[in-house]
Amino acid sequence: MATVDEIAPGEHKVVPIGRWGVGVYNVDGRFYAIANYCPHEGGPLCSGRTHGVTVVDPEVPGGAAESRAGEFIYCPWHQWGFELATGTTAVKPEWSIRTYPVRVQGSDVIVTA
Amino acid sequence: MDPEGRPVIDASVHVFFASDRDLRGYLNEPFKSRGYPDVDVAWFAPPDGVRYAPGTQTDVVIEQQAFGQPVQRVPGHPGSDPELVGRQLFEERGVDVAVLHPMSNAGILPDWHLGTAIFAGYNRMLVERWLDSGTYADRFRGTIRVNPNDIDGAVREINRYKDHPRVVQIGLPMQTQHPYGRPYFRPLWRAAVEAGLPVAVHIEMGVGITHPPTPSGITRTFSHLAAYQPMTFVWHLLNMIAEGVFEEFPELKIVWADGAADMLTPFIWRMDSFGRPHLEQTPWAPKIPSAYLADHVYFVHGALDGPGADAEFADDWLRMTGKEDSSMFGSSYPDWQMHSPDDLPRAWTPEQREKVLWRTAARLYGIDIPVPASA
Amino acid sequence: MTIEMQRPKEVSQEMTEVRVVDSDIHPSPKRGELTPFLPAKFRSLFENRSTGAGSPVYYDAPDFAHSFAMRTDSFPSDGNFAGSDPDLMFRQVIMEAGCDLLILGPLNGGGQTEEEHHAVAQATNAWQDACWLDSEHNWHQRFRGSIVAAMEHPEAAAREIEHWAGHPMMSQVLIGAELRPAWGDPRYDPVWEAATRNGLPVACHLGRGQHNELPMSPVGFMTYNHDLMVSYSMLAANQVMSLVFDGVFDRFPDLQIVFIEHAFNWLLPLMWRMDAIHAKRGPENGLKRKPSDYVKDHIWCTTQPLDMPEDKLEFTRSLEWMEADKILLFSSDYPHWTFDDPQWVAKHLPAHMREKIMYQNALQVFKNLPETVPALPGQKRAL
Repeated sequence: MATVDEIAPGEHKVVPIGRWGVGVYNVDGRFYAIANYCPHEGGPLCSGRTHGVTVVDPEVPGGAAESRAGEFIYCPWHQWGFELATGTTAVKPEWSIRTYPVRVQGSDVIVTA
Repeated sequence: MDPEGRPVIDASVHVFFASDRDLRGYLNEPFKSRGYPDVDVAWFAPPDGVRYAPGTQTDVVIEQQAFGQPVQRVPGHPGSDPELVGRQLFEERGVDVAVLHPMSNAGILPDWHLGTAIFAGYNRMLVERWLDSGTYADRFRGTIRVNPNDIDGAVREINRYKDHPRVVQIGLPMQTQHPYGRPYFRPLWRAAVEAGLPVAVHIEMGVGITHPPTPSGITRTFSHLAAYQPMTFVWHLLNMIAEGVFEEFPELKIVWADGAADMLTPFIWRMDSFGRPHLEQTPWAPKIPSAYLADHVYFVHGALDGPGADAEFADDWLRMTGKEDSSMFGSSYPDWQMHSPDDLPRAWTPEQREKVLWRTAARLYGIDIPVPASA
Repeated sequence: MTIEMQRPKEVSQEMTEVRVVDSDIHPSPKRGELTPFLPAKFRSLFENRSTGAGSPVYYDAPDFAHSFAMRTDSFPSDGNFAGSDPDLMFRQVIMEAGCDLLILGPLNGGGQTEEEHHAVAQATNAWQDACWLDSEHNWHQRFRGSIVAAMEHPEAAAREIEHWAGHPMMSQVLIGAELRPAWGDPRYDPVWEAATRNGLPVACHLGRGQHNELPMSPVGFMTYNHDLMVSYSMLAANQVMSLVFDGVFDRFPDLQIVFIEHAFNWLLPLMWRMDAIHAKRGPENGLKRKPSDYVKDHIWCTTQPLDMPEDKLEFTRSLEWMEADKILLFSSDYPHWTFDDPQWVAKHLPAHMREKIMYQNALQVFKNLPETVPALPGQKRAL
């Protein structure tokens, strides 16, 4: 669906698979694919921003820090976050997004839908 | 017992000093000679002049003199005579055990030294008059009042009384400068948890150093104020959840003693719906907000609560958001709003009535109630 | 998916039924667009004050530095703010989401004095008329405006209502929520009088005030956007009680109030609570009817934010008990991040309430809405 060069680390590309399209993400050289559809209200998920999750860190000013930067996608509408690798969340695991297996073959990124 | 033979724990009985002179007898100088407001003030009092339920005035006649007025001989304050209160609750109203809440205005005084001294007087009075002596002492349980404007003093007062066998609860004012989730209050929660005592939050009498009672200022009518002010718990609770108080103190139990539990349902639905994206701002409270309710949050069920005695769906409503496990009957004796088990919704199931009338309170306060054979 | 469309030279002759009325949607001025509409004496003052000034945000929505509390896909490509491009709003809300008529509620802030508040309201109304409701930007006839009224200055607000009343595209009066005292105070009577005389409902939208009108609770300030926004409904609950107990609906029997974005599930227990105190102390307030009757006849709430418990059946029953078909008006809140999609809202409403909440109630409340509008080929129908 894409070549490795097309999606640099931290970037993504939406490819035409299924009704909503599928977002292919490169997180530090690992590739993930998710449906471009938020299960909450149907927002275009892949227009959202990726970042990490907030964790308690009593050692830093403010007491909170970002963990696992870039590994979660946040919906552009209501900011619901999902783990790119599994499609799930810690808070409400039953609300998950669809993920697709991805493998890299040579210079090609192959999504199995 | 109620008419059908169920035990009744009255989780909200208000107790008072008989008079200002009576209170001053429990204060030492310099506080004994200080000026502070009476528990009953004219500001937003009931316009018909009826503050207390008929028949609750004590038989004891006391002398008092208001500023610039001649000496008056008046009946003692309702809720001030343990013998009369005990007789009315236990022999006339079918109550088995009553949880007492001393009513004061000391929690909203500007001088926190004075406030703490007055609370100490209230607590000594409660223990000496109600819990340690008199005909009905074994059926009274007490709430120790502490001052949120003096955290160190409050912790000392909790430790002074925590081992008294009939002290079952700590009491705080609903009206505060800051919501109870703010870290300033944490030593209070720690002391309560270490004492193994739940914390009741109740509207303080009168007015003092409080913000106006609504986000839009004062009300124009007494009805509006009386119906609105108990809902103040919503802000405290939302803030405590978001600030992670129940995460830090898993044993903490809070009793919202002015009722309004019905508001819990819509506000927790809303907090959950809005919770998921906001949790990224509050990792110290990582669960969905409603997960912090069970075993932490309790309510006194008051006269204005619920969909009405005749609502056919009252049982379904009580089930939502776990209210059937968090609500406890409280009469508010001797307040004008005083109500009785007869006023509770008829559609509640027998199990719900049992929980609200005594089971939840018995468990929360560690009150041994002989279980009737039929229950 | 993006729908590519050309603006037709002429509106379609074919008419279609209105099936979704969105009663909360926010246009914003492009940079500098509002200034020419301000009364001359305030132009330089406002410009000077904003020179060197940055964001005034307190209580930030999630990921604020990237989202600005907006749907992040709603920012136009010209660099202006979300909600500033009538064509993008048309595409995202009408064509893609399927809302048929949009009641625009501009939130352009206020000033520091009554006169300044009123000046911003005047400018906002003239700007809507020129930049949104005119035949060029509103070629599709789907936008309706709000007569913004400064409650800080009730007499001037009443004059402003009179000035715009009768405009075929102005459908309501719009006021902020945070001002003290509450709406039952007689000082606001000129506004209710002007609105009812002109058959206009008055909508109350939350924003942010200053200091203790930020708002602040009776127990001090909330800590986060989470506890603040959830507890905002407590402010509306107080406004409802003030309107009812202070007799506003007895003084103005035709007054219709719309609470926007304050949520609504709380109205059910609030009605019980008001009826309970009324049963005990009713005569004190001299009301002609019981409080919940006033609510059902005079008060409307918009659906967004649609809050639900895990168990959807509980929500459905709650709607039935409160007779939500007499209370709710659909709203999306576009382009704010708390946007609710009309199809998503409709599917959570009991079937027998759906049409009333999605559009029939709105056609009744907003007196100048048409039942049919020129059809738009390719428009999604949400209902």
